[in-house]
Amino acid sequence: MSVLNKKRQKVSDEVPTSSTADIAFLLLIFFLVTTTFPKDKGLAIVLPEPGEEAQVNQSNILHLIVQPNGVVDVRRGESQQVQQMRPNEIEGLWRQEVAANENLIAAVKTHPDAAYEYMVDVLDALHSANAERISLQVLEN
Amino acid sequence: MAIKGGGFSRKSKASSEVPTSSLADIAFLLLIFFMVTTVFQDDRQRPIEWPEAEAAEKIDEKRENILNIWMERDGSVFINDQQTPMTDVSSVVAPLYADSDRRLVISIRGDRNVPYRFMDQVQKELVEAGVVRVVFASQLEQSMQRARR
Repeated sequence: MSVLNKKRQKVSDEVPTSSTADIAFLLLIFFLVTTTFPKDKGLAIVLPEPGEEAQVNQSNILHLIVQPNGVVDVRRGESQQVQQMRPNEIEGLWRQEVAANENLIAAVKTHPDAAYEYMVDVLDALHSANAERISLQVLEN
Repeated sequence: MAIKGGGFSRKSKASSEVPTSSLADIAFLLLIFFMVTTVFQDDRQRPIEWPEAEAAEKIDEKRENILNIWMERDGSVFINDQQTPMTDVSSVVAPLYADSDRRLVISIRGDRNVPYRFMDQVQKELVEAGVVRVVFASQLEQSMQRARR
């Protein structure tokens, strides 16, 4: 029976390292695949060429006047009637107005003291409503 | 006493397998190399709060054709990390625009609280420089946030 006692155990006492390479390559490929470089986002507009001025019929203009408190005064063409709105209501308004007149131009006039973000809110609403003809101006007087 | 293995039948000790024991080291080296050498675009720290927009879209232009104009709350303008007086913006941008073969896109990175008068001045300067494509850089706003507003 002494032969049986002397039989060596076959279980290795080393940590198995054969799969470490696989793990490392998996990590490498994971990071290579998931790395995304941040791409800038924003609202694109096209500025007019220098000296370019277009005469537009007043009836085709929707005036959006951004006040310093963020409220937007909406005025249609030559009409003196002013409607006050919040920027997020403009998307619906634009869709409604452009369905009635497809040549409509949005004239966004921002008060010189109004924060830039209020103008961005209005521009955002117009972009969301797929508006293409937008004019950005500063409110004079 | 017999000689173990015999004189002629001794096997060659050279292994016929490709040695793979250092593969892990190579892989980890590569991993660490990429982790260390990856640099993210690092603009100088500016105290800017981005405006948020739901309709913000990725700028569809190569990175080298994008010029960032930073606008701080007090109306100071930075082009390529250099402070530029408002009146010089068009003279700085115009040659860059010409060099880019009129493909340059201007990304206006303004603080959300910049008074609009400064934004208007910058736009007028850009029109003077002949620039056509302008992007108001903003963060993407989730529609749920917008509804809560």
